[in-house]
Amino acid sequence: MRLKQMFKKTIREREHVEMQARPEVPDGLMKKCNACKAAVFVEDVKKNYYICPKCRNYFRVHAYRRLEMIADEGSFEEWDRGLDSGNPLHYKGYDQKVALLREKTGLDEAVITGKALIQGMPAVIGVCDGRFIMASMGEVVGEKITRAVERATREKLPVILYACSGGARMQEGIVSLMQMAKTSAALKRHSDAGLLYVTVLTNPTTGGVTASFGMLGDVILAEPNALIGFAGPRVIEQTIGQKLPEGFQRSEFLLEHGFVDAIVEREDQKEVLAHILQLHLQGDGAGQDEAVREDELFLHRETQTCEMEAWDHVQLARAKDRPTGKDYLRLLFPDFIELHGDRYFRDDPAVIGGIASLHGQPVTVLVQEKGEGTKDSIRRNFGMVSPDGYRKSLRLMKQAEKFGRPVLCIVDTPGAFCGLEAEERGQGEAIARNLYEMSALRTPLLSIVIGEGGSGGALAFALTDEVWMLEHAVYSILSPEGFASILWKDSSRAKEAAGVMKMTAQDLKKLGIVEEVIAEDRPLNRENLQELTEKLESQIAAFFSRYSALSSEELTEKRYQRFRKL
Amino acid sequence: MIRKLLIANRGEIAVRIIRACREMGIETVAVYSEADRESLHTQLADEAICIGPGPSVQSYLNMERIISATLVSGADAIHPGFGFLSENARFAEICEKCNVTFVGPSSEVIRNLGHKQIARNTMVAAGVPVIPGTDKAIYDAGEGAREARQIGYPVIVKAALGGGGKGMRTAYTPEEFESAFLTAQKEAEHAFADGTMYIEHFVENPRHIEFQILADSQGHVVHLGERDCSIQRNHQKMIEEAPSAAISKELRKKMGDAAVKAARAAHYVNAGTIEFLLEKNENFYFMEMNTRIQVEHPVTEWVTGLDLIKEQLKIASGLPLSFNQKDIRIQGHAIECRINAENPTKNFRPSPGKITQLHLPGGQGIRVDTAIYDGYVVPPYYDSMLAKLIVHADTRQEAIAKMRSALGEVVIEGIDTNVDFQFEILGDQDYRTGNINIEFLNTHEIGKGEGV
Repeated sequence: MRLKQMFKKTIREREHVEMQARPEVPDGLMKKCNACKAAVFVEDVKKNYYICPKCRNYFRVHAYRRLEMIADEGSFEEWDRGLDSGNPLHYKGYDQKVALLREKTGLDEAVITGKALIQGMPAVIGVCDGRFIMASMGEVVGEKITRAVERATREKLPVILYACSGGARMQEGIVSLMQMAKTSAALKRHSDAGLLYVTVLTNPTTGGVTASFGMLGDVILAEPNALIGFAGPRVIEQTIGQKLPEGFQRSEFLLEHGFVDAIVEREDQKEVLAHILQLHLQGDGAGQDEAVREDELFLHRETQTCEMEAWDHVQLARAKDRPTGKDYLRLLFPDFIELHGDRYFRDDPAVIGGIASLHGQPVTVLVQEKGEGTKDSIRRNFGMVSPDGYRKSLRLMKQAEKFGRPVLCIVDTPGAFCGLEAEERGQGEAIARNLYEMSALRTPLLSIVIGEGGSGGALAFALTDEVWMLEHAVYSILSPEGFASILWKDSSRAKEAAGVMKMTAQDLKKLGIVEEVIAEDRPLNRENLQELTEKLESQIAAFFSRYSALSSEELTEKRYQRFRKL
Repeated sequence: MIRKLLIANRGEIAVRIIRACREMGIETVAVYSEADRESLHTQLADEAICIGPGPSVQSYLNMERIISATLVSGADAIHPGFGFLSENARFAEICEKCNVTFVGPSSEVIRNLGHKQIARNTMVAAGVPVIPGTDKAIYDAGEGAREARQIGYPVIVKAALGGGGKGMRTAYTPEEFESAFLTAQKEAEHAFADGTMYIEHFVENPRHIEFQILADSQGHVVHLGERDCSIQRNHQKMIEEAPSAAISKELRKKMGDAAVKAARAAHYVNAGTIEFLLEKNENFYFMEMNTRIQVEHPVTEWVTGLDLIKEQLKIASGLPLSFNQKDIRIQGHAIECRINAENPTKNFRPSPGKITQLHLPGGQGIRVDTAIYDGYVVPPYYDSMLAKLIVHADTRQEAIAKMRSALGEVVIEGIDTNVDFQFEILGDQDYRTGNINIEFLNTHEIGKGEGV
């Protein structure tokens, strides 16, 4: 028997005067988290960006509180308050509902718009508020967003929209549907003016908002685990008569499927938004540093490595401890922000793309990544890029062109991925499209082959103004194994093939395929890479500033001629 | 009067509080973690509510769960014990908001006394002696060095939010200052995310003397004499006794008056402890005020004949003290040894596990406050204190003899304890003659192989 059953209970004292008010939790002290069901203190939730302190579930945030989280204190200037759509369908009870919500929430409609500073940088901001008919987009929401975007276009300001919506506002019928057209059209003009548009998708963003301003950002951010989709999950389930899988239409699902650039935790959003704004400030082209002497970096001398056989270069280029693209990213671009996705089907982990600054100037960086270690290498498909990877790179190159920033491509791939899915999604088309578009891209492009430059998969990252190669990198029509197998029906003669293929950096320089060979005093590894990147950094910066001085006609003509003569 | 009390604690103090309640006819609610399902407090209370998994953060520090348990059980008061939420101003404030009586001072008092600078300023204003030091926050080593020169070496650098020896460094000369300051500040930033420092005169080899006070909500304050807690390891007390061998009647009155003044200045209500450092020349300085019942309260209980937990509950119920200062008489000598589940030969590494055999001493003048029993499993999540062995006799020498005898009778098998280590301290010549200060364990070879 447990002690508990053996102990006698306390004998209660008789007389009891109630000496105090009954214990109770006062209103507003605690709330229940609907995800983990734990009771939490409201004060803790507020201090923690409205994230459950127990399970990190995201609570919905009122629009003005959201502004406090991202805008500099006191900097918000609200625009277009007090617009009224009336009741276009004369829908019964709609006027009363809107009036009641206005009183209850203190909002005039489901979005607030205006101008604010984020870490001192001005931006036009719109924030949806789910308390107002699930932030559905009626005429007022569409109108406020359109006016804000138009004014941003006039004043040359970036736009940041925090989306959260059930979609179109049913009570306003077809008038609501037209808001999708109106807002999208205004955003097109804003974009054509070369201005930045960022959306932050929060839980939930669905229907007509996803299918208009939500998905049109140059950069699309999302909060973790937010429901984002066109048709709501219930509608889909009823239509197809199937249960949807776990995580379907959540932010992470969209990231994997290429529709979201990044998922950003709430406490980091201000920092990330400020960084994105900063990388899109209209620069004055200054910040040009003294470049190191070229002969410190580039190989112009005949060195002993010439005595190395081509096959030795192949071996070095493929070595396990050879630094991969992300090592260069880490050392050259500490402030790199990765932007994911091709906006069609998938985010290809074999390509890392994003923006960063180089000597104070924004630059788009695209990296073919082989991965490090078995697990990472499998995830990155050993650097064999899928059509989605090429489409992602093209999307980011087009974006670089829009914002007038140069592009650095880092090439390291055994070749484009050859597989069922790759063919299904048009591997050939994807590579061709890159070549086609890159040839006329009106911004400087530089490609550096750091390891293997395998075939068309490499060329799709190397139709650039110049191509540089590391001393022990290789670049060829296909692998020496493949070459031997096709021409001599014997892939074991790869070593011999490497010798005749002219695939080493110095051979390619002689052929005019590459402009510069970057000296490797010792074969590169992750430890000694920094010695190289320190010199490489200023050479890249010098290259971009040289090429940025050209007009876009001169630039594209030069690039055209570079390949025309080959 | 409190009708039903929830004890937001575990172990021997929870049992101690439940016992007081049983005597007073107050129903009790224990809260327990999943690791404490079989604990004595869980079984002895009239009701018990599980508040989460073993780690304290998810259970005994989980304010939401404890408040919910209080309301669900219908308790009208919470006793926080010591440690855990006992000196958490926010928790006290939440109790206030929910109309739950918190057995202790108000949240405001806890907050003010918990902030070293505010506490110090209050004491200076009230005329309670404090260690000479900076009265403003110091963030910069250069500025600190100038202040240190004013104060006079040796000096000690302390973190504003510090505790348990963290963020604390001593400098004996100006040359040592910068390194001491920067090390302490770095530690503080790491531990408390705050680099606010202050600097004071370092009192060399003092005794740790603390005064127990009781204050009711009608404004009466009495002190119950001192405890000498100089036997400490890394700022953790090991042996406490009352009265102190170093304190004369006159000094007791002087320090007691200062303690009462301190409590009044802080608008203190309930049981509290004012800690002083006592120098050889009988100068004493206010260190801090603890706003909770303390581990070592039984030694005061024994020399004064009072039950401090019962007094706490009466004060929390709004009753006035039933005695005044002149009713307090210190009789005999009491000593407490903390019995911990730890291995003194392995740097006092905690030793959780199952107690396979247990014998505890008893008899005249011997008290054991504990929650362990034969077959009990000591969980790994909490403080390693297993029991408090307290003895009382007419004189210090007799008390030491009694403690030696009692320690010699303690059998706790299955886990390691510090019983032999304590036994050895009690046999030390300096200890026996009362020649002790807070450096005692650093300057004596205890547990190094000889002895016993």
